[in-house]
Amino acid sequence: MSHEVEILLVEDSAEDAELTIRALRRNNLANEIHVSTDGVEALDFLFCRGVHADRTFTHPPRLVLLDLKLPKVDGLEVLRAIRADERTKAIPVVVLTLSKQHKDLVAGYNLGVSAYVQKPVDFEQFSEAVRQIGMFWMLINQPPPSSAFTASRTRGA
Amino acid sequence: MTSSSKAIAACALLMVVCIGALSYWSEVRNDRDRGWVTRTLHVVEKLQALRIDITQCETGQRGYMLTGQDRYLELYRAGVDQVRQDMKELPDLTADNPREREAIKQLDPLIASRLAELNEGILVRKESGLLAGVEAVTRANNGERWMGQIAAQIGEMRDTEAGLLSSRLETAAASTRKIKVVIALGNTLAILILLIKYFVIQREIGKRNLAEASLKLSNEQLVRRTAELSETNIELESFAYSVAHDLRAPLRHIAGYSGVVVQDYGPRLDAEGLRFLGKITHSAKQMGRLVDDLLSLSQIGRQELSFEDTPLVVPLSQAMEDVAPEWAGRKVEWQVGELFRAECDSGLLKQVFVNLLSNAVKYTRKQEHAVIEVGQTRQNGERVVFVRDNGVGFEMQHAGKLFGVFQRLHKALDFEGTGVGLATVQRIIRRHGGRIWAEAELGRGATFFFTLSSPENKPREPAEVPLKEKKEKEEEMHVARS
Repeated sequence: MSHEVEILLVEDSAEDAELTIRALRRNNLANEIHVSTDGVEALDFLFCRGVHADRTFTHPPRLVLLDLKLPKVDGLEVLRAIRADERTKAIPVVVLTLSKQHKDLVAGYNLGVSAYVQKPVDFEQFSEAVRQIGMFWMLINQPPPSSAFTASRTRGA
Repeated sequence: MTSSSKAIAACALLMVVCIGALSYWSEVRNDRDRGWVTRTLHVVEKLQALRIDITQCETGQRGYMLTGQDRYLELYRAGVDQVRQDMKELPDLTADNPREREAIKQLDPLIASRLAELNEGILVRKESGLLAGVEAVTRANNGERWMGQIAAQIGEMRDTEAGLLSSRLETAAASTRKIKVVIALGNTLAILILLIKYFVIQREIGKRNLAEASLKLSNEQLVRRTAELSETNIELESFAYSVAHDLRAPLRHIAGYSGVVVQDYGPRLDAEGLRFLGKITHSAKQMGRLVDDLLSLSQIGRQELSFEDTPLVVPLSQAMEDVAPEWAGRKVEWQVGELFRAECDSGLLKQVFVNLLSNAVKYTRKQEHAVIEVGQTRQNGERVVFVRDNGVGFEMQHAGKLFGVFQRLHKALDFEGTGVGLATVQRIIRRHGGRIWAEAELGRGATFFFTLSSPENKPREPAEVPLKEKKEKEEEMHVARS
């Protein structure tokens, strides 16, 4: 179990990734964090293909922390792909981004984002935001059961 | 139409009227002239007839004298009647000509004498027979003399009339010529004037077309220019947005790693080192706020507004909740009056109130008894919202700088701030078609006033109430009828 990835962090900035991971670790919130630095790699990871062909759909990450401004395929496209596929659509996705642009917010929620958080500039506020996200999604929130990821089921019917 | 072209049109009209009048007058004169000609011809004809009639009398008499047959007597008598008739008509025909009248007067006794002579012959023949009659005629032997004189007289009269005729014909011809000349001249003039008018109108049309073309051109230029400007504006806005956005990342890193240093290496740093790190963190935070404010300012310019009929108390109370932490631990007296309803974007109006209230809270910080008042008033028929505080205020001479981006009236040391807040407020109010202004006095507080779009700001009640009453009345009438 300890090798299963619990959080997929999709973040192209090494500094942001480091600060986010640090904030999570200091709060003992994630043992296994995988960092994808672009949208393509994130999708490969989620859909068990390419360099991640050895992965299986039976162990999806418990949480995806998704930046919107990404190289190759942007965050909203990644979100769209996750929500469009029965095998991934139940994964909680929290957008963690610099943008609080109206259209990004609208698009994010329309695509079924689980939460939308703007990264604060202030380090303490940022740490606190990351702590709360991790606390809620990893500890308080009931994760979707494995049956939620089978293609035959439809959610919310 | 220009005044000159009006004058030309009036000229042409006058000309046509003149030609008409002249033609009519000439025609009347011509008619009269031709009447004279006809009359002269009549006189000539009558004189001719007179001669024939006298000859008829003579023929009748002579026939009777020779044959004694009554049919010659009849011929004679008819001739005499006709002569008398002719002599009666002639003076009327020549009434205009004294000379002819004189001639007639002279002719009259000659004819009378001749007729008398003829009559005497007939009487003698009747009573005494052929021989006595012939004898009587021969004895008198005046017939030729009388006849000569009569013929001479008539001839003279006919000459006179002929003279008259030719002169009258001449007059008539002359007047006809005159009419022709007048009509030809007048028409030529009228055509000329109309031609001038035509060219003047052509020139005016040309001028107008030119003016229209240039107006159209400048309109098109204006439209193009406006499009270019709004495009430039959008480009600038998105430039500002991406700059601000991209600035945020390194700022977060500065702040973040400073925080990491404090957390991980704090115990190994001395007080001065920690103070420097604090400075770095503070500056990064300050710049972060600045960037955030710029981002929201640029966003207001680009985002679409969603107008809804809103009681302004709603965004106000939301704003008061938002700023509550800013005055926590202080004593602030809030005086919130009634506010009207308006067609507005509630979210942006909340931002207006947040910025204004936040300023009021900030600038009353040094006041022992802070009073912040929000309410409505009326100026020149417009409904105005105001936010008043009894804080430090400012000098009115600097009021012009109040709403500029990065313009600050206070030192950052006294009152923190980015200088973007009021620019944002102004932008929101302007996008609502309203105005914002301020009144203040140094050390005695400031009041900010704003209006929202004038047409939507009109009082609704007076328009609605009569309508409602009317409806109720109609309903009453329905009830009464049924």
